[in-house]
Amino acid sequence: MLKKIMFFLSLFTSIFYAAAFAQAQSAKLIEAAKKEGKAVAYGSLESDTMDAIIKGFQKKTGIEVESWRASATKVMDRSMSEFRAGKPLADVILINDNPLRLMQQQGFFQKYESPTNSEFPKEAIDPFLGPRYRNVIIGIVYNKSVIKPADAPKSLEDLVKPQYKGKIVMPDPTQHTTTMQWVASLYKLMGKEKADKFIRDLAAMKPILVESLLPSAERVATGETPIAITYVKYAYMFGKKGAPLDYVRLPKMMGDGHYIGLASKAPHVNAGKAFIDYFLDDESMNMMAKLGEFVNRKGVLPPLPDADKIGFVEMDDLSAKEFAEKKKEYTQIFLR
Amino acid sequence: MIANERVLAVDQSLPSSWSRTRIGIFLRQPVSWVFLIVGGIIAFLSLYPAAFLFYGSLTDAPLGVPGHFTLANYIRAYADPEAYPLLLNSFIFGFGSSGLSVVFALSLAWVTIRTNAPYRRLFELTAIIPNILPPILVSISWVMLLNPSNGLINASIVKLLGVEQGPFNIYSIPGLIFVEALILTPLAFLIIAAAMKSMDPSLEESAKTLGSGELGVACRITFPLMRPAILAAATLNFVRAVESFDTPAIIALPARIEVFTTKIWREALGSFPTNHNLAAAYGVGILAIALTFVYLYRRLTSQVENFSTVTGKGFRPHQIDLGGWRYLASGFSFLLLVLLVILPILVLLLVALLPYYHVPTWQTWHKLTLENFRYIWATSRVHRAFANSMFLALFGATVCMTLAALASYITVRSKIAARGILEGLVFIPWAFPGTALALGLLWAYVDFPIPVYATIWIILIAYVTRFLPYGMRAVSSTIIQIHKELEEASVVCGAGFLSTFRRVLIPMMRPGVMAGWIILVTIFMREFSATLFLYSPGAEPLGPLLYFLYLDGMRGRVAAIGLVISLISVILIAIAQRYSHWESK
Repeated sequence: MLKKIMFFLSLFTSIFYAAAFAQAQSAKLIEAAKKEGKAVAYGSLESDTMDAIIKGFQKKTGIEVESWRASATKVMDRSMSEFRAGKPLADVILINDNPLRLMQQQGFFQKYESPTNSEFPKEAIDPFLGPRYRNVIIGIVYNKSVIKPADAPKSLEDLVKPQYKGKIVMPDPTQHTTTMQWVASLYKLMGKEKADKFIRDLAAMKPILVESLLPSAERVATGETPIAITYVKYAYMFGKKGAPLDYVRLPKMMGDGHYIGLASKAPHVNAGKAFIDYFLDDESMNMMAKLGEFVNRKGVLPPLPDADKIGFVEMDDLSAKEFAEKKKEYTQIFLR
Repeated sequence: MIANERVLAVDQSLPSSWSRTRIGIFLRQPVSWVFLIVGGIIAFLSLYPAAFLFYGSLTDAPLGVPGHFTLANYIRAYADPEAYPLLLNSFIFGFGSSGLSVVFALSLAWVTIRTNAPYRRLFELTAIIPNILPPILVSISWVMLLNPSNGLINASIVKLLGVEQGPFNIYSIPGLIFVEALILTPLAFLIIAAAMKSMDPSLEESAKTLGSGELGVACRITFPLMRPAILAAATLNFVRAVESFDTPAIIALPARIEVFTTKIWREALGSFPTNHNLAAAYGVGILAIALTFVYLYRRLTSQVENFSTVTGKGFRPHQIDLGGWRYLASGFSFLLLVLLVILPILVLLLVALLPYYHVPTWQTWHKLTLENFRYIWATSRVHRAFANSMFLALFGATVCMTLAALASYITVRSKIAARGILEGLVFIPWAFPGTALALGLLWAYVDFPIPVYATIWIILIAYVTRFLPYGMRAVSSTIIQIHKELEEASVVCGAGFLSTFRRVLIPMMRPGVMAGWIILVTIFMREFSATLFLYSPGAEPLGPLLYFLYLDGMRGRVAAIGLVISLISVILIAIAQRYSHWESK
């Protein structure tokens, strides 16, 4: 009995000290960050979500955050050009893992272990980049006012049935990199042989090809095309505004992981760290989930029906060479 | 006599052999100094970022990383047999849309400026509006109107006539040409209208005296005299169409029509990681096409005396009485106005007032909301963006037009041997695809000794660099029409170059200068492709803000901001037109 009491007492003491240390560290960090004045963030996180998080951070710390939003490729282009020229402006970068790893290989990032890392599942933590804070999941979204839920496809394989010919919109897999990754990773869901056949059958359906995943969702929301391959979160985001959208409950769906990294030449390194701490903390993760994101926190889900039942499979990362090869292959399949 | 010698000295100041005397004569002329200063500025603005892009096209590593000399980018870009049919598609697209835009603009300009058609002033003021809207919004509006499955026009026809399918399909080459032509019309209109306002009607009157009818005069005298302006507008619009990506991305991609720019996007700019070296090699190809057209334009307008219609004699283009036909002319202009302004603006208004866009039904009325306009009112980020863009538009357009007026004068009027190079220089940055040039500008200025990078000044530099050809084309076509006798009279009376320029030429050039200024203000208010890479996150102008909102699927907010920008620009245009020569008369 005494042993048990001693065990709990020591456990409690260590937790207390750890918390007190983290708090002291955080207070010290914020003090240093305040002296730097501001943090600068480059990223692909949606403006409304980023604005809400920045507001929360400012309220808590009084530190300003200047944010630059663009697609992941543009974020990489600008930050790498500044980095190489020795004029880095960004302290933190928030994009998906493929470009992030390319930047990491070129020494763009420094390792930072935020005290909030422990809140994420172990399998979601990269030894260098830290937690994969959100998964952006691709699935099938359809317009309920054009296609009755009973008539909607029930699986990926259903998409290639003749009744859906000319009714599918998707980003051009020869030019949109995330879609190219998605098509290339389909074998993870259905096995190589089936995936190869499915890709050819899908191309034969002559889907309407658009620039990226958003125009794909927009065309479904307006009813111009009834079915889209796009981010599942758009079913919630457009649905919130009144668009009659739903998504197909596939047993497993693939997507991309997103990280937040600290720049190795961050001009405001403490402010950058303080922002990362807040960004990965509960308050910010809950905020993000409420706005429709799938964050990597147990029990924290977006307000999308059956969100808890979605089985997430991470897409393969492709090297620059693999991207070039896939582009050639899909040009033959989808555009010929 | 002394003054006459001065005129001769200007003409003889060509430094063909670099003897001391000739250099001395050259440097004694104020116009030579103006040439050196203006030429120096333009050469720096265009060659400095372009040099980075040229260098990039000949190396195998990104800028900032030591690479090796290679021709592989050019081989990859141009040894591909697929590139050439696409180039042909681009030419069909470029000629079609540029030609159609000139037809629209010429008709609209003739009706609004030269005839007594009712409501012509209203048509004139509103014809510029599409230039204010980001081209991507205009393309999206037309997709919403003419897409075959639920485009509003098609859906209305299906409902009214009970047919199975609507007759229009935007996803086709004619659809692509039509939408791009509508986007390009305001630019052509401003250039042609400015030249038409400065025209001396004496030739027209002679033709009428000899018995020609109004239509015959228009076809045989007026339109041929407009040749410099028509060619200027057609050249600019052709190059702009060939290098445009927005409309093809929205219309050509779903239609599976490939043009040169969608290929550049697929192979270089949109690939992962972005292949800037290959993009630069493609850009050099577009540059060669653009420069060929500039050369052709110069050849076609080289005998400038033929087009001199603004002389020292008092003139005012007379108004043509169309009689009963004036209502038809107004009807035609109104139809163009519906296509150019009313339909896209109505769609944007609908998008701005709806929580999400859908084909309107009776229930739609209950869903209308002012939420997107409230967002503009309540968000300090939007207010800051408006302030930044207003500064860039007003100050940037003024700087650009000052430079354009001086450069145009030198290229059209002076006998300096290198004047043709100046015009070529101006076109260099403009011919690169927007995103490629933005990268060139970033590479050029990120490590520049004067710390302009990540300040509002670098955006200003970018705007002047990229859009100087617009200003120059607008002014040049007016200068070509001003007869030399006016300058000569001023010089004879003892005025120097600068006072002749200020007191004689600027007032005569005012329609062209104001037209150019208006074009630039409307573009600078919403430009994003160059701005995106260059602005500092703390000083965001409207263009990037619109782009981010679009990227986030906030079309309602984009449309609402687009409408407010249009309103502000119309006010600015109205004020600018007050100061225009022909308006104050």
